[in-house]
Amino acid sequence: MQIHSILKLNIMKSVFISHNQALTEEVEDILDSLAIRGYTQWTEVKGRGTNSGEPHLGTHTWPSLNNALITIIPDEKVTRLLEKLTNLNNKVEDQGLRAFVWNVEESI
Amino acid sequence: MSIYSSAVKKPVTTIMIFVGIMVFGLYSYFQLPVDYFPKMEPPMITVFTYYQGASASDVEQNITRKLEDGFGSLTNLKKMSSKSKENISVITLEYEWGANLDEAVNEVRNAVGLSERNLPEEVESPTILKISTSMIPVLMFSVTSEESYAAIEEILDNKVIQPINRIDGVGSVYQSGAPTRAVMVDVDPRKLDAYNLSVEQIGGVLSANNLNLPSGSIEMGKSDFPLRLQGEFENSDIIKNLVISNRDGKTVYLKDVATVRDSLKKIKSDVRANGKKSVRIMVQKQSDANTVEVAANVKNKVEEIKKNLPPDVKIEALYDSSVYTINSINNLKETVIYALVFVVLVVLLFLGRWRATFIVALSIPVSLIAGFIYMHLSGGTINIITLSSISIAIGLVVDDSIVVLENITKKLEHGGFSREAAIYGTNEVSLAVIASTLTIIVVFLPLTMLGGVTGILFKPLGFIVTISITTSVIVALTLTPMLSAKLLNTKLPDKKSLSGKLFWGSQNMFNKLDNFYEKILVWAVGHRWTIIGVSTLVFISSLLLTKFIGTEFMPASDNGRISATVKLVQGIKLDETTNLARKLDSTFMQYPEIEIVSASAGSGDENSMASIFSETGNYIISYTFKMKDRKDRKRDIFEVSENMRKDIEKYAEVETYFVDPGSTRSSSIMGSGGGSNLQVMIFGHDFDATNLMAEQISEEMKKIPGTKDIIVSRDKEKAELSLVLDNEKMTYFGLNTATVATSIRNRITGLTATKYKEGGDEFDVIVRFDENYRKSTEDILNISIPTPQGKLIKLHEIATLKQLYAQPNIERENKERYLTVSAAISGSDLGTVKAEIEKKIATMKIPDGVTIEYGGSAEDMQESFSNLILLLLLSVLLVYIVMAAQFESLSEPFIIMFSIPFALTGVFLGLFIFKSTINVISLIGVVMLIGIVVKNGILLVDFTNLLRDRGYSLKQAVVKAGRSRLRPVLMTSLTVILAMIPMIFNPGEGAEMWKPMAIAIFSGLTFSTLVTLVLIPAIYTMFGIGRMKKDRKELVQGTQN
Repeated sequence: MQIHSILKLNIMKSVFISHNQALTEEVEDILDSLAIRGYTQWTEVKGRGTNSGEPHLGTHTWPSLNNALITIIPDEKVTRLLEKLTNLNNKVEDQGLRAFVWNVEESI
Repeated sequence: MSIYSSAVKKPVTTIMIFVGIMVFGLYSYFQLPVDYFPKMEPPMITVFTYYQGASASDVEQNITRKLEDGFGSLTNLKKMSSKSKENISVITLEYEWGANLDEAVNEVRNAVGLSERNLPEEVESPTILKISTSMIPVLMFSVTSEESYAAIEEILDNKVIQPINRIDGVGSVYQSGAPTRAVMVDVDPRKLDAYNLSVEQIGGVLSANNLNLPSGSIEMGKSDFPLRLQGEFENSDIIKNLVISNRDGKTVYLKDVATVRDSLKKIKSDVRANGKKSVRIMVQKQSDANTVEVAANVKNKVEEIKKNLPPDVKIEALYDSSVYTINSINNLKETVIYALVFVVLVVLLFLGRWRATFIVALSIPVSLIAGFIYMHLSGGTINIITLSSISIAIGLVVDDSIVVLENITKKLEHGGFSREAAIYGTNEVSLAVIASTLTIIVVFLPLTMLGGVTGILFKPLGFIVTISITTSVIVALTLTPMLSAKLLNTKLPDKKSLSGKLFWGSQNMFNKLDNFYEKILVWAVGHRWTIIGVSTLVFISSLLLTKFIGTEFMPASDNGRISATVKLVQGIKLDETTNLARKLDSTFMQYPEIEIVSASAGSGDENSMASIFSETGNYIISYTFKMKDRKDRKRDIFEVSENMRKDIEKYAEVETYFVDPGSTRSSSIMGSGGGSNLQVMIFGHDFDATNLMAEQISEEMKKIPGTKDIIVSRDKEKAELSLVLDNEKMTYFGLNTATVATSIRNRITGLTATKYKEGGDEFDVIVRFDENYRKSTEDILNISIPTPQGKLIKLHEIATLKQLYAQPNIERENKERYLTVSAAISGSDLGTVKAEIEKKIATMKIPDGVTIEYGGSAEDMQESFSNLILLLLLSVLLVYIVMAAQFESLSEPFIIMFSIPFALTGVFLGLFIFKSTINVISLIGVVMLIGIVVKNGILLVDFTNLLRDRGYSLKQAVVKAGRSRLRPVLMTSLTVILAMIPMIFNPGEGAEMWKPMAIAIFSGLTFSTLVTLVLIPAIYTMFGIGRMKKDRKELVQGTQN
């Protein structure tokens, strides 16, 4: 058995999801549907898209806010997660949802 | 966790809390008693003192002045007025509304105690009385009878008055006009002289022989018997056979010197209903009892009693104070229901969705019911003020829910999910909702701090609107998002279904309206100065309109009551007065609007409580009319009164008269209807100077159009016969003034020697000269007076009889003599008439020591108006404070406040078009408007600011914000405006009272909304451009440096 394949089992990715507060439950449902148990969430955070979309700043002018979430999952789940998130984003384009994936170098 | 997310996440808890509130509210509603006005007890204490036999000026000098001096140091006293009449002094102490009267009564009692030592000895102890509204009879019945007339007093006493008195809440029941049975002993003075007897001796014999006395007990054998002497008259026949003296061995019986009649006392008054001899029964309630309840119970009881009365005795309600209250309240309830329907229709039209409409409409009952809970807990009643408050609140409580719902819908349309959309949609607008509600609360809450009568009236209004609106915010932040999460769907309805037609129809219409408004805005932003110029012109010209709008204290309303007083020449015999009364009766009975004509002439019981509050005398006829229901008659009470005045004037024997529609004039306590009156008060010590002044003023007043029934409060001097005693001769015979006075009184008025008992009732036995021997001055001077030596002397030996004139009544206010000239106002308004008379008086020569003041409704009006104008300024300031804090800007609230002057323009226009007046009620409407009209401006400016921050250019932002805020502005305004329409157009009883407020809010808000929609964007652009220019200048200067 190649070392790579042994390691692959253990290759973990971190997925950072930033989304409009209004989508909180939907995002949580997606995690549940993929049996992703662990995550860390920041609620009521500010954010602004690079190109388009309304800023989510929690001010009188831009009253909406984001929630952000990071979850560390096995590599094979990443594609399915991103797929589901894209679906959700396509359904409600205006709300704002972004996800970014990193490698996890080490963990305890 | 915020309140709205908890509410959305725990729908069952939320629903249960509101169900709980609803249940408690409904319980409160059904417990609430009904009344016309909020409970108000006039802060007055009366002190009255009897001084038998003293003339008005004696009473003034010896009693009124001394007591008044003692009252000088009372705390919190607002006004002290007094009336000195023959035999009696009445001092009225007026406190500020809301003062603690129990404390005040104690203080008055102490002051009376101190002054009492200085009063003459014969004076009875002063009585201290708290005047309360419960003294005005709740019900008045008129009882007519044929055969039973002679015994009517006993019948009524046993079968009617006592059962009514036992009803819960009834204070006292009394009858007037009933003949009283008495045993009359009419002596012949010549025979008395012959037997050397006196009236007092006869009286002594009568009382000494009418006795039951226990005389100890006797022990006989083993028994012990009480011994009692039974000497009481067994029947009235025994009396004439009494032995009164034994002269030269000859027995003198009472029948030898007098005729004894068991008959009726001669009544000094004549009471009739529809021309038939009648007796009046008046029912007063206990002060904390509810009028409507007491009246209903008494009426039920009377129906029961009727069955047990002799067939010729008829009882009819002459006056029922609860009828008008019940009708007014029912009417107002009807308008509240209409208002509710209108508001729901507006919401449905704008939203175009059933479910959304349901959610918004639900906030109405929940918020209003909180108002009922407050009424119940504060011991209030359902009255015209609380119900009007509900009417106003209906239009306001939906606003918050609408704003929240709109934002949630927007989120849903952007593709949110119901729960999150509900939570975050609410979160975004929660602050704005709270702030805009605050502007309304700061206007209504100060109403609860008003003083005086206006304070008592409008305190509940302030509280109810504040509480309802506060509840509506809570509903908007909890129930509305919760229901939105559960019920709302964003699917566009099918165009063919009913809801689809509704939705697409309203969307189409409003899209067209939006486009139209956008065009106007684009034009307005370009023509700012034209808009501002035209608006200023409109506002200024509307101020000129005020010249054509009258002012008064309270709106005149038709409460179905008229009373009238007709006076003949003083000193006329009662028979002459009743003759005229019969003629007038038949005239008035022909009026189709009148159901019962009730007349009372003469003085009745001179020292009764009633005589303190109303004027009675042999030359006075007072009328009370029972009118038919408002819907059964064509003319209102003012027109009928006008007709009556013409009819009364036809009789030459009438000296003065007044007709009082609404019966407000006779009572100093504010009634529930009628018109206003103007009083000119003339202060001055000198009778002649003030009388002359009064004469002049009343002549001038008569010339002013719109004045009716001009009355001078001081009666013409009254002729009286006066006995002047010769002191020397009197002392020679061993007599003094007191003994002489009582002797004369016993012979003319009569000596009540004893009481004859029959079947548990007691009747007076009255000894006096036979009528034939007290008819002329000669008879009087021939009266024999017993001296202490047992001799009889004739009155003319020690006294002479003189005819002189005396003041019948002397009125004082704050220790200064005054009299009033008063006029009822009809066909004109208080403000105009007052201005006219002020002008006339300014040209008169006012003698030294005479000053002139204004009273009556004019005084109340002035006091309330200045209170309300202060409140108006306070409201403007508070609204500015709230807005400045909300916008964190000093200039933006200023822009918004430009909508206030146009609200005034609208009010003036409305009052002019609907022919209403500026009065306390319409002014309260204006105060409320301040909070309501700025709401529109806030919506507009807030959103424009937002768009500017989001990067739109000034003009773009103004136009886009206007277009997007048009619907919320129209919707929130229309809900309030339409809620007022039923109040304006209700023709029923009591409508006159609240109509001016509805007109003020309706027209003020309509006009101001229309102007605001164009003017505020224009001014905003102007300010914006100004600031941009300033910024640019600074920038240029900055670069140059």
